[in-house]
Amino acid sequence: MLDCALKTDKLNLYYGAFHGLKDVDFCVYRNAITSLIGPSGCGKSTLLRCFNRMNDLIDDVAVQGTILVNDEPLAGIDIIELRKKIGMVFQRPNPFPFTVRENLVYGLKVHGYNKRRYDEILERCLKAVGLWEDIKDKLNTPAMSLSEEMKQRLCVARVLTVEPEIILLDEPCSALDPIATLKIEELMIELKRNYTILIVTHNMQQAARVSDYTGFMLLGDLIEFGETSKIFTSPADERTDGYITGRFG
Amino acid sequence: MSSNKAVFKERIIKQILTAFAFSSLLFLFLIFAFILVEGLPLFYKAGVKNIIFGMKWAPTRGFFGIFPMIVSSFLVTFGALVIGGPLGLGCAVYLAEYAGRQQKMFLKPALELLAGIPSVVYGFLGVLYIVPFIRTFFGGSGFSLLATSIVLGIMILPTVISISYDALMSVPRSYREGALAMGSTKWQSTWRVVIPAAKSGILASCILGMGRAVGETMAVIMVAGNALKIPGGLLDPLRTLTSNIALELSYASGDHRLGLFSTGVVLLFIIMVLNYFANFVIRRTVIK
Ligand SMILES: Nc1ncnc2c1ncn2[C@@H]1O[C@H](COP(=O)(O)OP(=O)(O)O)[C@@H](O)[C@H]1O
Ligand SMILES: [Mg+2]
Repeated sequence: MLDCALKTDKLNLYYGAFHGLKDVDFCVYRNAITSLIGPSGCGKSTLLRCFNRMNDLIDDVAVQGTILVNDEPLAGIDIIELRKKIGMVFQRPNPFPFTVRENLVYGLKVHGYNKRRYDEILERCLKAVGLWEDIKDKLNTPAMSLSEEMKQRLCVARVLTVEPEIILLDEPCSALDPIATLKIEELMIELKRNYTILIVTHNMQQAARVSDYTGFMLLGDLIEFGETSKIFTSPADERTDGYITGRFG
Repeated sequence: MSSNKAVFKERIIKQILTAFAFSSLLFLFLIFAFILVEGLPLFYKAGVKNIIFGMKWAPTRGFFGIFPMIVSSFLVTFGALVIGGPLGLGCAVYLAEYAGRQQKMFLKPALELLAGIPSVVYGFLGVLYIVPFIRTFFGGSGFSLLATSIVLGIMILPTVISISYDALMSVPRSYREGALAMGSTKWQSTWRVVIPAAKSGILASCILGMGRAVGETMAVIMVAGNALKIPGGLLDPLRTLTSNIALELSYASGDHRLGLFSTGVVLLFIIMVLNYFANFVIRRTVIK
Protein backbone atom coordinates (compact mmCIF):
# COMPACT_ATOMS: atom_id res chain seq x y z
CA MET A 1 0.00 0.00 0.00
CA LEU A 2 1.20 3.48 -0.83
CA ASP A 3 1.58 5.77 2.12
CA CYS A 4 0.52 9.37 2.38
CA ALA A 5 2.93 12.03 3.52
CA LEU A 6 -0.01 14.42 3.72
CA LYS A 7 -3.60 13.40 4.13
CA THR A 8 -6.86 15.21 4.70
CA ASP A 9 -10.12 13.79 5.90
CA LYS A 10 -13.37 15.73 5.50
CA LEU A 11 -11.45 18.97 5.40
CA ASN A 12 -13.59 22.09 5.39
CA LEU A 13 -12.35 25.65 5.36
CA TYR A 14 -14.29 28.89 5.67
CA TYR A 15 -13.13 32.40 4.85
CA GLY A 16 -15.67 34.12 7.08
CA ALA A 17 -18.96 33.01 5.61
CA PHE A 18 -17.41 31.81 2.35
CA HIS A 19 -17.06 28.03 2.15
CA GLY A 20 -13.60 27.66 0.55
CA LEU A 21 -12.99 23.91 0.88
CA LYS A 22 -15.79 21.38 1.01
CA ASP A 23 -15.25 17.93 2.55
CA VAL A 24 -11.91 17.44 0.87
CA ASP A 25 -10.38 13.95 1.18
CA PHE A 26 -6.95 14.20 -0.31
CA CYS A 27 -3.60 12.48 -0.11
CA VAL A 28 -0.10 13.39 -1.16
CA TYR A 29 1.98 10.24 -1.72
CA ARG A 30 5.52 10.04 -0.51
CA ASN A 31 8.35 10.61 -2.99
CA ALA A 32 5.97 11.40 -5.78
CA ILE A 33 4.70 14.54 -7.43
CA THR A 34 1.07 15.31 -6.86
CA SER A 35 -0.55 18.14 -8.73
CA LEU A 36 -3.70 20.11 -8.08
CA ILE A 37 -5.47 21.53 -11.10
CA GLY A 38 -8.66 23.45 -11.58
CA PRO A 39 -9.94 26.83 -12.68
CA SER A 40 -8.77 29.97 -10.93
CA GLY A 41 -10.43 30.52 -7.56
CA CYS A 42 -11.41 26.89 -7.02
CA GLY A 43 -9.37 26.56 -3.81
CA LYS A 44 -6.10 25.01 -4.95
CA SER A 45 -3.92 27.49 -3.08
CA THR A 46 -6.22 27.36 -0.11
CA LEU A 47 -5.80 23.59 0.16
CA LEU A 48 -2.04 23.79 -0.33
CA ARG A 49 -1.70 26.47 2.32
CA CYS A 50 -3.54 24.32 4.85
CA PHE A 51 -0.56 21.98 5.01
CA ASN A 52 1.95 24.54 6.28
CA ARG A 53 -0.71 26.60 8.07
CA MET A 54 -0.14 29.68 5.96
CA ASN A 55 -3.87 30.30 6.18
CA ASP A 56 -3.27 31.17 9.82
CA LEU A 57 -1.99 34.53 8.58
CA ILE A 58 -5.43 35.44 7.32
CA ASP A 59 -8.01 36.75 9.76
CA ASP A 60 -11.31 35.01 10.07
CA VAL A 61 -10.35 31.60 8.69
CA ALA A 62 -11.94 28.51 10.20
CA VAL A 63 -10.68 24.99 9.44
CA GLN A 64 -12.59 21.81 10.29
CA GLY A 65 -11.66 18.21 9.67
CA THR A 66 -8.44 16.29 9.93
CA ILE A 67 -5.06 16.89 8.36
CA LEU A 68 -2.36 14.27 8.90
CA VAL A 69 1.34 14.80 8.33
CA ASN A 70 3.11 11.43 8.26
CA ASP A 71 0.01 10.03 9.98
CA GLU A 72 0.35 12.53 12.79
CA PRO A 73 -2.39 15.12 13.34
CA LEU A 74 -1.23 18.49 12.07
CA ALA A 75 -2.83 20.24 15.02
CA GLY A 76 -0.35 18.58 17.36
CA ILE A 77 2.79 19.64 15.48
CA ASP A 78 4.70 22.74 16.52
CA ILE A 79 4.23 25.33 13.77
CA ILE A 80 7.96 26.05 13.50
CA GLU A 81 8.78 22.37 13.10
CA LEU A 82 5.89 21.94 10.68
CA ARG A 83 7.10 24.71 8.40
CA LYS A 84 10.64 23.43 8.55
CA LYS A 85 9.43 19.99 7.53
CA ILE A 86 7.07 21.33 4.84
CA GLY A 87 8.74 23.96 2.69
CA MET A 88 6.87 26.27 0.35
CA VAL A 89 7.68 27.92 -2.98
CA PHE A 90 5.44 30.80 -4.02
CA GLN A 91 3.83 31.92 -7.23
CA ARG A 92 6.12 34.88 -7.73
CA PRO A 93 9.77 34.27 -6.89
CA ASN A 94 10.23 36.01 -3.55
CA PRO A 95 13.90 36.05 -2.64
CA PHE A 96 14.67 38.51 0.14
CA PRO A 97 16.31 41.74 -1.05
CA PHE A 98 19.69 40.60 0.24
CA THR A 99 22.61 38.74 -1.29
CA VAL A 100 22.28 35.20 -2.63
CA ARG A 101 24.23 33.91 0.33
CA GLU A 102 22.13 35.75 2.89
CA ASN A 103 19.01 34.30 1.30
CA LEU A 104 20.35 30.81 1.66
CA VAL A 105 21.61 31.09 5.22
CA TYR A 106 18.41 32.72 6.47
CA GLY A 107 16.71 29.45 7.35
CA LEU A 108 19.93 28.06 8.79
CA LYS A 109 20.22 31.01 11.15
CA VAL A 110 16.59 30.84 12.14
CA HIS A 111 16.80 27.13 12.90
CA GLY A 112 20.13 27.41 14.69
CA TYR A 113 22.34 25.40 12.37
CA ASN A 114 26.03 25.36 13.16
CA LYS A 115 27.84 28.08 11.20
CA ARG A 116 30.51 25.63 10.14
CA ARG A 117 27.94 23.69 8.14
CA TYR A 118 26.74 26.72 6.14
CA ASP A 119 29.10 26.36 3.18
CA GLU A 120 28.54 22.67 2.75
CA ILE A 121 24.75 23.06 2.92
CA LEU A 122 24.79 26.01 0.52
CA GLU A 123 26.74 24.06 -2.04
CA ARG A 124 24.55 20.99 -1.73
CA CYS A 125 21.33 22.98 -2.13
CA LEU A 126 22.56 25.09 -5.02
CA LYS A 127 23.71 21.91 -6.75
CA ALA A 128 20.33 20.32 -6.15
CA VAL A 129 18.58 23.15 -7.99
CA GLY A 130 21.20 23.34 -10.72
CA LEU A 131 22.47 26.78 -9.81
CA TRP A 132 25.86 25.95 -8.38
CA GLU A 133 27.93 26.32 -11.53
CA ASP A 134 26.25 29.59 -12.49
CA ILE A 135 26.27 31.19 -9.14
CA LYS A 136 29.14 29.89 -7.05
CA ASP A 137 31.21 33.01 -7.75
CA LYS A 138 28.25 35.33 -7.26
CA LEU A 139 27.17 34.41 -3.77
CA ASN A 140 27.57 37.98 -2.63
CA THR A 141 25.57 39.61 -5.41
CA PRO A 142 22.03 40.78 -4.69
CA ALA A 143 19.47 38.05 -5.30
CA MET A 144 17.30 40.66 -7.01
CA SER A 145 19.78 40.90 -9.86
CA LEU A 146 19.17 37.30 -10.95
CA SER A 147 16.81 36.33 -13.77
CA GLU A 148 13.27 35.33 -12.78
CA GLU A 149 14.04 31.67 -13.37
CA MET A 150 17.18 31.80 -11.27
CA LYS A 151 15.29 33.62 -8.54
CA GLN A 152 12.73 30.84 -8.44
CA ARG A 153 15.49 28.22 -8.32
CA LEU A 154 17.08 30.17 -5.51
CA CYS A 155 13.76 30.10 -3.66
CA VAL A 156 13.64 26.33 -4.05
CA ALA A 157 17.23 26.12 -2.81
CA ARG A 158 16.34 28.33 0.14
CA VAL A 159 13.61 25.89 1.09
CA LEU A 160 15.96 22.92 0.73
CA THR A 161 18.54 24.39 3.13
CA VAL A 162 16.49 23.48 6.20
CA GLU A 163 16.04 19.87 5.06
CA PRO A 164 12.29 19.63 4.49
CA GLU A 165 10.58 16.34 3.63
CA ILE A 166 7.76 17.85 1.67
CA ILE A 167 7.78 20.79 -0.74
CA LEU A 168 4.66 22.74 -1.63
CA LEU A 169 4.80 24.74 -4.85
CA ASP A 170 2.03 27.21 -5.64
CA GLU A 171 2.07 27.85 -9.40
CA PRO A 172 5.86 28.13 -9.32
CA CYS A 173 6.15 28.76 -13.05
CA SER A 174 3.41 31.32 -13.59
CA ALA A 175 5.92 34.19 -13.62
CA LEU A 176 8.34 32.37 -15.92
CA ASP A 177 8.71 32.05 -19.68
CA PRO A 178 8.13 28.64 -21.35
CA ILE A 179 11.79 27.64 -21.46
CA ALA A 180 12.36 28.51 -17.82
CA THR A 181 9.15 26.65 -17.04
CA LEU A 182 10.47 23.46 -18.63
CA LYS A 183 13.68 23.78 -16.66
CA ILE A 184 11.82 24.16 -13.36
CA GLU A 185 9.75 21.12 -14.29
CA GLU A 186 12.92 19.11 -14.83
CA LEU A 187 14.08 20.29 -11.46
CA MET A 188 10.90 19.04 -9.81
CA ILE A 189 11.30 15.60 -11.36
CA GLU A 190 14.89 15.61 -10.13
CA LEU A 191 13.79 16.51 -6.60
CA LYS A 192 11.15 13.80 -6.46
CA ARG A 193 13.76 11.22 -5.54
CA ASN A 194 14.41 12.83 -2.20
CA TYR A 195 11.30 14.84 -1.50
CA THR A 196 7.54 14.63 -1.60
CA ILE A 197 6.11 17.29 -3.85
CA LEU A 198 2.73 18.94 -4.08
CA ILE A 199 2.31 21.42 -6.90
CA VAL A 200 -0.58 23.69 -7.70
CA THR A 201 -0.86 24.64 -11.33
CA HIS A 202 -3.46 26.01 -13.66
CA ASN A 203 -1.42 24.64 -16.53
CA MET A 204 -2.81 21.21 -17.41
CA GLN A 205 0.10 20.29 -19.65
CA GLN A 206 2.40 20.94 -16.75
CA ALA A 207 0.41 18.64 -14.50
CA ALA A 208 0.43 15.99 -17.20
CA ARG A 209 4.17 16.33 -17.76
CA VAL A 210 5.45 16.27 -14.21
CA SER A 211 3.01 14.70 -11.85
CA ASP A 212 2.32 11.13 -10.84
CA TYR A 213 -1.02 11.92 -9.22
CA THR A 214 -3.49 14.65 -10.02
CA GLY A 215 -6.40 16.16 -8.16
CA PHE A 216 -9.02 18.21 -9.95
CA MET A 217 -10.81 20.88 -7.95
CA LEU A 218 -13.89 22.92 -8.69
CA LEU A 219 -15.54 25.51 -6.43
CA GLY A 220 -13.95 24.14 -3.28
CA ASP A 221 -14.65 20.48 -4.05
CA LEU A 222 -12.02 17.92 -4.87
CA ILE A 223 -13.92 16.41 -7.78
CA GLU A 224 -11.53 13.68 -8.69
CA PHE A 225 -8.18 12.39 -7.56
CA GLY A 226 -6.03 9.64 -8.97
CA GLU A 227 -3.08 8.68 -11.15
CA THR A 228 -2.27 11.44 -13.58
CA SER A 229 -2.45 9.15 -16.62
CA LYS A 230 -5.91 8.04 -15.62
CA ILE A 231 -7.21 11.55 -14.91
CA PHE A 232 -6.03 12.77 -18.27
CA THR A 233 -7.08 9.80 -20.38
CA SER A 234 -10.23 8.45 -18.78
CA PRO A 235 -11.59 10.75 -16.10
CA ALA A 236 -14.45 9.33 -14.09
CA ASP A 237 -16.28 12.61 -13.67
CA GLU A 238 -17.64 14.49 -16.63
CA ARG A 239 -16.67 17.83 -15.08
CA THR A 240 -13.05 16.68 -15.05
CA ASP A 241 -13.44 15.62 -18.64
CA GLY A 242 -14.92 19.01 -19.46
CA TYR A 243 -12.03 20.82 -17.85
CA ILE A 244 -9.18 18.83 -19.38
CA THR A 245 -10.69 18.96 -22.83
CA GLY A 246 -10.95 22.72 -22.43
CA ARG A 247 -14.69 23.12 -22.42
CA PHE A 248 -14.48 25.47 -19.44
CA GLY A 249 -11.95 27.00 -17.09
CA MET B 1 -22.50 78.99 -22.10
CA SER B 2 -20.34 78.96 -25.18
CA SER B 3 -17.49 76.51 -25.23
CA ASN B 4 -15.10 79.33 -26.02
CA LYS B 5 -15.92 80.97 -22.76
CA ALA B 6 -15.48 77.68 -20.89
CA VAL B 7 -12.06 77.15 -22.44
CA PHE B 8 -11.05 80.67 -21.49
CA LYS B 9 -12.17 80.11 -17.92
CA GLU B 10 -10.24 76.83 -17.75
CA ARG B 11 -7.13 78.60 -18.92
CA ILE B 12 -7.43 81.35 -16.33
CA ILE B 13 -7.93 78.84 -13.54
CA LYS B 14 -4.92 76.88 -14.64
CA GLN B 15 -2.78 80.01 -14.69
CA ILE B 16 -3.90 81.08 -11.25
CA LEU B 17 -3.12 77.65 -9.83
CA THR B 18 0.27 77.64 -11.51
CA ALA B 19 1.01 80.99 -9.93
CA PHE B 20 0.06 79.62 -6.52
CA ALA B 21 2.29 76.61 -7.00
CA PHE B 22 5.25 78.68 -8.03
CA SER B 23 4.75 81.17 -5.22
CA SER B 24 6.12 78.57 -2.79
CA LEU B 25 9.26 78.43 -4.90
CA LEU B 26 9.38 82.21 -4.81
CA PHE B 27 9.14 82.26 -1.02
CA LEU B 28 11.93 79.73 -0.77
CA PHE B 29 14.08 81.84 -3.06
CA LEU B 30 13.33 85.00 -1.08
CA ILE B 31 14.26 83.34 2.20
CA PHE B 32 17.55 82.11 0.77
CA ALA B 33 18.34 85.44 -0.84
CA PHE B 34 17.50 87.37 2.29
CA ILE B 35 19.58 85.23 4.61
CA LEU B 36 22.53 85.07 2.27
CA VAL B 37 22.50 88.81 1.53
CA GLU B 38 22.40 89.64 5.20
CA GLY B 39 24.56 86.81 6.44
CA LEU B 40 27.42 86.52 3.99
CA PRO B 41 29.01 90.00 4.35
CA LEU B 42 30.14 89.28 7.89
CA PHE B 43 31.97 86.17 6.69
CA TYR B 44 34.11 88.54 4.58
CA LYS B 45 34.54 91.05 7.31
CA ALA B 46 35.27 88.81 10.28
CA GLY B 47 36.68 85.82 8.40
CA VAL B 48 35.06 82.43 7.80
CA LYS B 49 37.45 80.72 10.18
CA ASN B 50 36.84 83.17 13.01
CA ILE B 51 33.13 82.64 12.75
CA ILE B 52 32.86 78.92 12.18
CA PHE B 53 35.74 77.84 14.39
CA GLY B 54 35.74 80.81 16.78
CA MET B 55 35.16 79.80 20.39
CA LYS B 56 33.98 83.16 21.65
CA TRP B 57 30.64 84.81 20.96
CA ALA B 58 30.67 88.49 22.06
CA PRO B 59 29.24 90.22 19.02
CA THR B 60 29.24 93.69 20.51
CA ARG B 61 32.97 93.39 21.04
CA GLY B 62 33.73 91.91 17.65
CA PHE B 63 33.83 88.18 18.53
CA PHE B 64 31.55 86.15 16.31
CA GLY B 65 32.68 82.60 17.09
CA ILE B 66 29.80 80.12 16.83
CA PHE B 67 31.75 76.90 17.08
CA PRO B 68 30.29 75.97 20.48
CA MET B 69 26.79 76.43 19.06
CA ILE B 70 27.54 74.31 16.00
CA VAL B 71 28.85 71.56 18.25
CA SER B 72 25.87 71.97 20.57
CA SER B 73 23.42 71.75 17.70
CA PHE B 74 25.05 68.52 16.57
CA LEU B 75 25.08 67.13 20.09
CA VAL B 76 21.39 67.73 20.76
CA THR B 77 20.52 66.40 17.32
CA PHE B 78 22.51 63.28 17.96
CA GLY B 79 21.00 63.00 21.45
CA ALA B 80 17.51 63.34 20.01
CA LEU B 81 18.30 60.57 17.55
CA VAL B 82 19.66 58.27 20.26
CA ILE B 83 16.42 58.68 22.20
CA GLY B 84 13.85 59.16 19.45
CA GLY B 85 15.32 56.74 16.89
CA PRO B 86 14.95 53.42 18.69
CA LEU B 87 11.71 54.50 20.35
CA GLY B 88 10.25 55.67 17.05
CA LEU B 89 11.39 52.59 15.17
CA GLY B 90 9.98 50.35 17.88
CA CYS B 91 6.67 52.13 17.66
CA ALA B 92 6.64 51.93 13.85
CA VAL B 93 7.43 48.21 13.97
CA TYR B 94 4.64 47.64 16.45
CA LEU B 95 2.20 49.58 14.30
CA ALA B 96 3.21 47.95 11.03
CA GLU B 97 3.72 44.36 12.16
CA TYR B 98 1.93 43.68 15.42
CA ALA B 99 -0.91 46.12 15.98
CA GLY B 100 -4.41 44.96 15.20
CA ARG B 101 -6.97 47.16 13.52
CA GLN B 102 -8.20 48.53 16.85
CA GLN B 103 -4.77 49.47 18.18
CA LYS B 104 -3.99 51.22 14.91
CA MET B 105 -7.28 53.05 15.10
CA PHE B 106 -6.29 54.93 18.22
CA LEU B 107 -2.49 54.97 17.86
CA LYS B 108 -2.36 56.67 14.47
CA PRO B 109 -4.54 59.67 15.38
CA ALA B 110 -2.60 59.94 18.65
CA LEU B 111 0.62 60.23 16.66
CA GLU B 112 -0.85 62.88 14.40
CA LEU B 113 -1.85 64.78 17.50
CA LEU B 114 1.69 64.44 18.86
CA ALA B 115 2.96 66.02 15.65
CA GLY B 116 0.48 68.86 15.97
CA ILE B 117 1.34 69.90 19.53
CA PRO B 118 3.13 73.29 19.47
CA SER B 119 6.76 73.11 20.44
CA VAL B 120 6.32 75.56 23.28
CA VAL B 121 4.17 72.94 24.99
CA TYR B 122 6.99 70.41 24.76
CA GLY B 123 9.35 73.01 26.21
CA PHE B 124 6.91 73.79 28.97
CA LEU B 125 6.58 70.15 29.98
CA GLY B 126 10.35 69.84 29.76
CA VAL B 127 10.82 72.71 32.20
CA LEU B 128 8.14 71.45 34.53
CA TYR B 129 9.08 67.77 34.64
CA ILE B 130 12.25 66.76 32.85
CA VAL B 131 14.53 69.54 34.10
CA PRO B 132 13.57 69.09 37.78
CA PHE B 133 13.83 65.32 37.38
CA ILE B 134 17.38 65.60 36.08
CA ARG B 135 18.30 68.16 38.74
CA THR B 136 17.02 65.87 41.49
CA PHE B 137 18.36 62.55 40.29
CA PHE B 138 21.52 63.41 38.34
CA GLY B 139 22.56 66.82 39.67
CA GLY B 140 23.40 70.14 38.03
CA SER B 141 20.80 72.76 37.20
CA GLY B 142 18.80 70.32 35.10
CA PHE B 143 18.92 72.66 32.09
CA SER B 144 21.18 70.47 30.05
CA LEU B 145 22.16 68.48 27.00
CA LEU B 146 20.30 65.54 28.51
CA ALA B 147 17.06 67.49 29.03
CA THR B 148 17.24 68.92 25.53
CA SER B 149 17.92 65.52 23.99
CA ILE B 150 14.94 63.99 25.76
CA VAL B 151 12.58 66.78 24.73
CA LEU B 152 13.81 66.71 21.13
CA GLY B 153 13.79 62.91 21.11
CA ILE B 154 10.08 63.02 21.87
CA MET B 155 9.48 65.79 19.35
CA ILE B 156 11.02 63.86 16.46
CA LEU B 157 8.93 60.75 17.21
CA PRO B 158 6.11 61.59 14.80
CA THR B 159 8.57 62.11 11.94
CA VAL B 160 10.54 58.94 12.67
CA ILE B 161 7.44 56.86 13.26
CA SER B 162 5.40 57.94 10.26
CA ILE B 163 8.20 57.60 7.72
CA SER B 164 9.51 54.32 9.16
CA TYR B 165 5.96 53.03 9.25
CA ASP B 166 5.48 53.84 5.56
CA ALA B 167 8.78 52.13 4.78
CA LEU B 168 7.78 49.00 6.70
CA MET B 169 4.34 48.93 5.11
CA SER B 170 5.84 49.09 1.64
CA VAL B 171 7.84 45.90 2.26
CA PRO B 172 6.03 43.35 0.07
CA ARG B 173 3.89 40.83 1.87
CA SER B 174 5.68 38.10 -0.07
CA TYR B 175 8.88 38.68 1.94
CA ARG B 176 7.01 38.18 5.19
CA GLU B 177 5.29 35.08 3.83
CA GLY B 178 8.58 33.71 2.54
CA ALA B 179 10.20 34.19 5.91
CA LEU B 180 7.33 32.71 7.88
CA ALA B 181 7.03 29.75 5.51
CA MET B 182 10.68 28.95 6.28
CA GLY B 183 9.61 28.35 9.86
CA SER B 184 10.71 31.62 11.41
CA THR B 185 8.86 33.27 14.21
CA LYS B 186 7.13 36.56 13.69
CA TRP B 187 9.95 38.41 15.41
CA GLN B 188 12.65 36.62 13.39
CA SER B 189 10.95 37.54 10.13
CA THR B 190 10.48 41.12 11.32
CA TRP B 191 14.01 41.57 12.60
CA ARG B 192 15.89 39.65 9.95
CA VAL B 193 13.81 40.35 6.85
CA VAL B 194 11.26 43.16 7.13
CA ILE B 195 13.40 45.73 8.94
CA PRO B 196 16.48 45.16 6.74
CA ALA B 197 14.25 45.38 3.66
CA ALA B 198 12.96 48.75 4.88
CA LYS B 199 16.33 50.08 5.99
CA SER B 200 16.60 52.90 3.48
CA GLY B 201 13.26 54.34 4.51
CA ILE B 202 14.12 53.93 8.17
CA LEU B 203 17.41 55.72 7.60
CA ALA B 204 15.56 58.50 5.79
CA SER B 205 13.15 58.84 8.71
CA CYS B 206 16.09 59.31 11.06
CA ILE B 207 17.70 61.92 8.84
CA LEU B 208 14.46 63.86 8.53
CA GLY B 209 14.00 63.57 12.28
CA MET B 210 17.48 65.05 12.69
CA GLY B 211 16.47 67.90 10.40
CA ARG B 212 13.53 68.56 12.68
CA ALA B 213 15.78 68.47 15.76
CA VAL B 214 18.41 70.85 14.32
CA GLY B 215 15.75 73.37 13.45
CA GLU B 216 13.75 73.24 16.67
CA THR B 217 14.04 76.48 18.64
CA MET B 218 11.44 77.28 21.24
CA ALA B 219 11.49 74.05 23.21
CA VAL B 220 15.28 74.06 23.11
CA ILE B 221 15.59 77.58 24.50
CA MET B 222 13.36 76.58 27.36
CA VAL B 223 15.33 73.53 28.54
CA ALA B 224 18.90 73.94 27.25
CA GLY B 225 20.18 76.56 29.69
CA ASN B 226 21.65 78.54 26.76
CA ALA B 227 25.22 78.74 28.07
CA LEU B 228 27.84 79.93 25.59
CA LYS B 229 30.25 77.04 25.71
CA ILE B 230 30.69 73.51 24.48
CA PRO B 231 29.01 71.26 27.04
CA GLY B 232 31.50 69.05 28.85
CA GLY B 233 28.94 66.39 29.74
CA LEU B 234 25.32 65.32 29.55
CA LEU B 235 24.36 67.55 32.49
CA ASP B 236 25.92 70.76 31.13
CA PRO B 237 23.85 73.55 29.61
CA LEU B 238 24.34 74.58 25.99
CA ARG B 239 23.11 76.94 23.29
CA THR B 240 22.20 75.85 19.79
CA LEU B 241 22.35 77.84 16.54
CA THR B 242 18.60 78.34 16.45
CA SER B 243 18.43 79.44 20.08
CA ASN B 244 21.18 81.97 19.47
CA ILE B 245 19.17 83.69 16.75
CA ALA B 246 15.89 83.63 18.64
CA LEU B 247 17.38 84.83 21.91
CA GLU B 248 19.25 87.82 20.57
CA LEU B 249 17.56 89.04 17.42
CA SER B 250 15.07 91.27 19.22
CA TYR B 251 17.76 93.60 20.54
CA ALA B 252 20.69 93.08 18.15
CA SER B 253 21.82 95.81 15.80
CA GLY B 254 24.73 96.47 13.43
CA ASP B 255 27.35 93.72 13.27
CA HIS B 256 25.62 91.86 16.08
CA ARG B 257 22.57 91.52 13.86
CA LEU B 258 24.74 90.41 10.95
CA GLY B 259 26.33 87.83 13.22
CA LEU B 260 22.93 86.31 13.83
CA PHE B 261 22.34 86.11 10.11
CA SER B 262 25.68 84.35 9.72
CA THR B 263 24.43 81.86 12.30
CA GLY B 264 21.40 81.46 10.05
CA VAL B 265 23.58 80.78 7.02
CA VAL B 266 25.36 77.94 8.84
CA LEU B 267 22.03 76.54 9.99
CA LEU B 268 20.62 76.67 6.49
CA PHE B 269 23.67 74.85 5.21
CA ILE B 270 23.36 72.06 7.78
CA ILE B 271 19.68 71.60 6.99
CA MET B 272 20.36 71.50 3.26
CA VAL B 273 22.98 68.81 3.74
CA LEU B 274 20.56 66.73 5.85
CA ASN B 275 17.81 67.13 3.29
CA TYR B 276 20.15 66.15 0.53
CA PHE B 277 21.06 62.94 2.31
CA ALA B 278 17.43 62.16 3.09
CA ASN B 279 16.46 62.64 -0.54
CA PHE B 280 19.40 60.60 -1.68
CA VAL B 281 18.45 57.71 0.57
CA ILE B 282 14.78 57.92 -0.40
CA ARG B 283 15.50 58.06 -4.11
CA ARG B 284 17.77 55.07 -3.87
CA THR B 285 14.93 53.09 -2.28
CA VAL B 286 12.44 54.10 -4.92
CA ILE B 287 14.73 53.13 -7.76
CA LYS B 288 15.49 49.80 -6.20
N1 LIG C 1 -7.95 35.76 2.23
C1 LIG C 1 -9.13 35.42 1.66
N2 LIG C 1 -10.28 35.92 2.14
C2 LIG C 1 -11.46 35.59 1.58
N3 LIG C 1 -11.60 34.77 0.53
C3 LIG C 1 -10.48 34.23 0.00
C4 LIG C 1 -9.19 34.53 0.54
N4 LIG C 1 -8.26 33.87 -0.19
C5 LIG C 1 -8.95 33.19 -1.13
N5 LIG C 1 -10.28 33.41 -1.03
C6 LIG C 1 -11.32 32.83 -1.87
O1 LIG C 1 -11.22 31.45 -1.84
C7 LIG C 1 -11.38 30.89 -3.13
C8 LIG C 1 -10.20 30.03 -3.47
O2 LIG C 1 -9.04 30.80 -3.57
P1 LIG C 1 -7.65 30.18 -3.96
O3 LIG C 1 -7.39 29.02 -3.10
O4 LIG C 1 -6.65 31.26 -3.94
O5 LIG C 1 -7.92 29.71 -5.46
P2 LIG C 1 -6.92 29.12 -6.54
O6 LIG C 1 -5.57 29.03 -5.94
O7 LIG C 1 -7.50 27.82 -6.93
O8 LIG C 1 -6.96 30.08 -7.70
C9 LIG C 1 -11.55 32.05 -4.08
O9 LIG C 1 -12.90 32.17 -4.41
C10 LIG C 1 -11.11 33.24 -3.31
O10 LIG C 1 -11.89 34.36 -3.63
MG1 LIG D 1 -3.82 30.15 -6.38
